[in-house]
Amino acid sequence: MDTQQEPRKTFVVPIGPQHPALKEPGHFEITVDGEIVTAATVRLGYVHRGIEKGVEQQNWTQAMYMLERICGICSHVHATAYALGVEALAGVQAPPRAQAIRVLVAELERVHSHLLWLGVAAHEGGFDTLFMYSWRDREMIMDVLEGLTGNRVNYSCNVLGGVKFDVDDTHADAIRRAIDFLEPRTHHYLKVVTTDETLIGRTRNVGTMTSLEAETLGTVGPTARASGVPRDIRVDAPYAAYPDFPVKTITATAGDLEAKFVVRIQELFESYRVIREILDKLPAGDLAVRMKPRIPPGETVSRVEAPRGELFYFLKSAGGLNPDRVKVRTPSLCNWGSVLATAPGHKLADVPMLIAGIDPCFSCNDRLVTVRRRSTAETWTWAKLRQYGIEYYR
Amino acid sequence: MRIGAMLGDISRSLFKRPVTERYPFERKATPERLRGQLTFDPAKCTGCKICVRDCPAHGIEIMVVDKVAKRFVMRFHTDRCTYCAQCVVSCKFDALGMSHEQWELAALSKEAFFVSFGREEDIQALLTQVTCTPGVAPVGPVAPATT
Amino acid sequence: MNIELPPLVALLFFPGGLFLLSAGTVYEWADRKLVARFQNRIGPRWFQPVADVVKLLAKEEIVPDGVNPVLFHGLPVVALVGTLTAALYVPMAGMAPSYSFTGDLIVTLYLLSLMTLSMGLAGANTLDRFSLIGATRALTQLFSYEAPFLMALLGPAIAAGSWQISHVDAYAQGHWWMVLTQPVGFLVALVGLMGKLELPPFDSPEAETEIVAGPMTEYSGRGWALFRIGRDVELLVGLTLMAAFYLGGLANPIEFVLKTGGLLLVTAALQSLFCRLRIDQTVGMWWRIGILLALAQLFLLAFMR
Ligand code: SF4
Ligand code: SF4
Repeated sequence: MDTQQEPRKTFVVPIGPQHPALKEPGHFEITVDGEIVTAATVRLGYVHRGIEKGVEQQNWTQAMYMLERICGICSHVHATAYALGVEALAGVQAPPRAQAIRVLVAELERVHSHLLWLGVAAHEGGFDTLFMYSWRDREMIMDVLEGLTGNRVNYSCNVLGGVKFDVDDTHADAIRRAIDFLEPRTHHYLKVVTTDETLIGRTRNVGTMTSLEAETLGTVGPTARASGVPRDIRVDAPYAAYPDFPVKTITATAGDLEAKFVVRIQELFESYRVIREILDKLPAGDLAVRMKPRIPPGETVSRVEAPRGELFYFLKSAGGLNPDRVKVRTPSLCNWGSVLATAPGHKLADVPMLIAGIDPCFSCNDRLVTVRRRSTAETWTWAKLRQYGIEYYR
Repeated sequence: MRIGAMLGDISRSLFKRPVTERYPFERKATPERLRGQLTFDPAKCTGCKICVRDCPAHGIEIMVVDKVAKRFVMRFHTDRCTYCAQCVVSCKFDALGMSHEQWELAALSKEAFFVSFGREEDIQALLTQVTCTPGVAPVGPVAPATT
Repeated sequence: MNIELPPLVALLFFPGGLFLLSAGTVYEWADRKLVARFQNRIGPRWFQPVADVVKLLAKEEIVPDGVNPVLFHGLPVVALVGTLTAALYVPMAGMAPSYSFTGDLIVTLYLLSLMTLSMGLAGANTLDRFSLIGATRALTQLFSYEAPFLMALLGPAIAAGSWQISHVDAYAQGHWWMVLTQPVGFLVALVGLMGKLELPPFDSPEAETEIVAGPMTEYSGRGWALFRIGRDVELLVGLTLMAAFYLGGLANPIEFVLKTGGLLLVTAALQSLFCRLRIDQTVGMWWRIGILLALAQLFLLAFMR
C-alpha cells in the first residue's frame, strides 16, 4: 500500500499471479472500497507456451499430442477437435465405432471435469468437506479412464482417422459400475448445493447475469447456459457420434452462482445417460482408417463442446507434412468478460467464487501479442520464439 | 433449506476407513492398459523408423546395426517420452509395446532416463558413439543400460 | 483432584509451560485428524504439528519493509504469553487451577482475547494488503464474538454465584451438567469459541482463497510458529473452560480427556459441516442471533435466582 507516499483513494487487492485461490497463474486487480469490489481487471498470459506456433514445426500426427496438452483437464476434447478437423481436411471419416468411443471418452471427461469443478468451487467458498467428497467420488471416474485409456490425464485416445483402443466388456462393466455409484452421489450433491444454508448464502444471487448480458458478453458453455442461453455445440452442430446419441441442453434461468452449480450438476446426469446409451449401443466396426501423412491443402473449422464451453479450432493445410496454421480458441477466453462485469458490487469474499464460477482454465487462454510497428515487422520462427522465451525468463 | 446438508456424509465417514491411498506403502495393481515404459522386440522390427517419425517428443531412436540379421538397437528416453502410445500404433510390425508394470520412472540421475533395448554387444558398441537426432541436443556416451 | 505443586513447577512444567505446549500440539493434531476423518481422509500423523513448529522455528524469519520491528517480534510473544497465562487459571488436566482469585474468569477471558488482538495488530503493522484486510476482519470478528462468548460463560458463573473459575468448576461438579440446564448458553459459547479460534466456518479473517493467510501473511519462521502454538494453547484452554462450565466440571484427568475430547469431536464436526461465512455474515449472525440468545438466557438466569 502506498498511502504514505501518495494518498490514493483506491485500495487495490492483487490476486495473482501467485495466489492460493488460483491453481494457475493469472493476475486480477480488484479495487475495493472496504469489502466491496468497485472494479476488477484481469491480466493473462503468464503461461504462454507458444503451442500454436509449435505445432507448425511438427507433422500432422505429432501436432495432436502437443495440442492435447493445451489443457490438463479437458485434454481429450482438444485432440478430438483437431482430429475431426484434420479428417475433414483429408476427406476421410473415422468409423462409427471410433466416433462413439470418442464421445464416450469425452463424456467421461466431462463428468470428471464437472466433479472437479464442484470441488474447486466449494473450496473457493471454504467448504472443504464438499471439496473432499466430490474429489473422492471423482476418483472413480479417473480410475475408469485410467483403466480404459491407460492414463489419468492425457488419455491419448485419438489417432488421426480413429481411436487407439476398443471398449470391451470388462471396461464397459467398470464404467457402468462407476456411473451407478456416481448417480446417487450426484443427486446428493445437487441436494447439498440447493439446500445447504451456508452454501446458498454464498451462491444465491451472487454474480447474477441475465441472459442478455450473457449473450452480449459472448459467454459459452455452462456459464452461458446458467443464464438461460441455450448454447451447446453438441446440440447446435453435432459432431462425432452426437447425431446418433443426442444430448439435451441443460439451462437454468437464474444466472447466479447457484445456477452454475445446478447446470453443471444436471449436465452430469445427461452425461451419465449418454455414457450408458453408448455402452449399450456401441456400433460394431473398425477402430480407425488409414491416413496419409500429407493432408491436402485447405482450411477448415472444427468446433466441439468442451466441459467449459465451445472449443474452436481453425486448421489450415498447405498440402505438406505439417499444419500450416492452427488457431485455437478455448472456452475460458470467452468467459472472462462475465467475471469482470459481474464482480463490481460484490464482496471481496465473493471474488474467488466468481472467478471459479466460470471454471477457468488459465493456460488454455494464453496468447503472445506483439505489436507490429511497420519498420520492425517480422515473422518469428519457432526457434526465435523459443530463444525469446529463454532470454525473457533468464 | 437446511443447515448442515452433509451431516450424513461426515458422520458415516467417522466409522469408515479413509479412502486415502497409502502409496508408496500400499500399492494397487495397475490397469492392464496403463502406458508405462516402452518395450521393444528387435525380432519384429524392420528398421522402417516410422515410430521415430511420428513420435511427438523425440523419445525413440532406432539404430540399425544389421537389417538382415535383425540387429536393431532402440534407445528410449524415459524423460522425453510423453507416453502417448503413438509409436505403438504407428509400428506396423508390432515391435513396440508399453509395459504397465514399469511406470515409476522418476530418477535422480540423468543416465537412468536412458534405456537401450537390443543385443548387449550392439548396445555396447553404440554407446561409445555420440548420437545426434534432428531437433534434439546431442546425447553423449552414457552409462550401462538395461534391457 | 488437588495436588499441591511448587509454583515454579506449575509455571514451567505442569500444568503450565511445557505441558501446555505439548498438549496444545496434541489437540491440534486431534482436531486435524478428526476433520480429516470426517472428510474421509487419513489425516496427518501424530507428530505433524510438532514437526510444523520445529520446521518453522528453524526457518529464517523475514522482517518485511515498513513494519515496526518491535511490534513485529513482540506481538507473537504477547499472544503466546497471554494464552499461556490464561491456562494457569483454568482447571487444566482436571487439576485445580494453579492460581485462583475472585474474578479470574474475567481476566482469563481477556487474556484469551489477547491472541486475536495481537493477530489483528500484527496484520495492521505490515503494509501488505492481504494482512490489512485480514486484520480488519480479525478485529471486526473479535468485537462481534467477544460479547456473546463472555455472556455465555457468565451463565454458569451466575448459576454458581461466583466469578471464580474454580468455584464454578466445583459447583458444576456437584450439579446437573449445565449443557442440559443452559443449552442455549452452551451453543453460543461453543460457536463463540470457534469464532475466537477462527476455525472454519468462521475463518474469513484468514480465508486462504481470498486473502492468503490474512494478518499472518507476512509472518514466517518464529513469529508464525509462536502464533500457531498460541492458537493451539488457546484451543486447549477454551475447551477446558467449556468442559468445566458446561459439562459437569473437571474432577480428574480422565474426565478432562474425555470431556474435552468430546467437545473437540463436536467442534471438528461443525468445522467440516459448513461453508465459510463471509465476514458480514459472521458479524450479522453474531449480533442478530448470538448475542440475543445469550442475553435472553442471562436474563432468565438472573430472574430465576
Ligand atoms: S516402426 Fe516398428 S518396425 Fe519400424 S522402426 Fe519403429 S519399431 Fe521398428
Ligand atoms: S509413447 Fe509417444 S512420446 Fe513416447 S516414444 Fe512413443 S510416440 Fe514417442
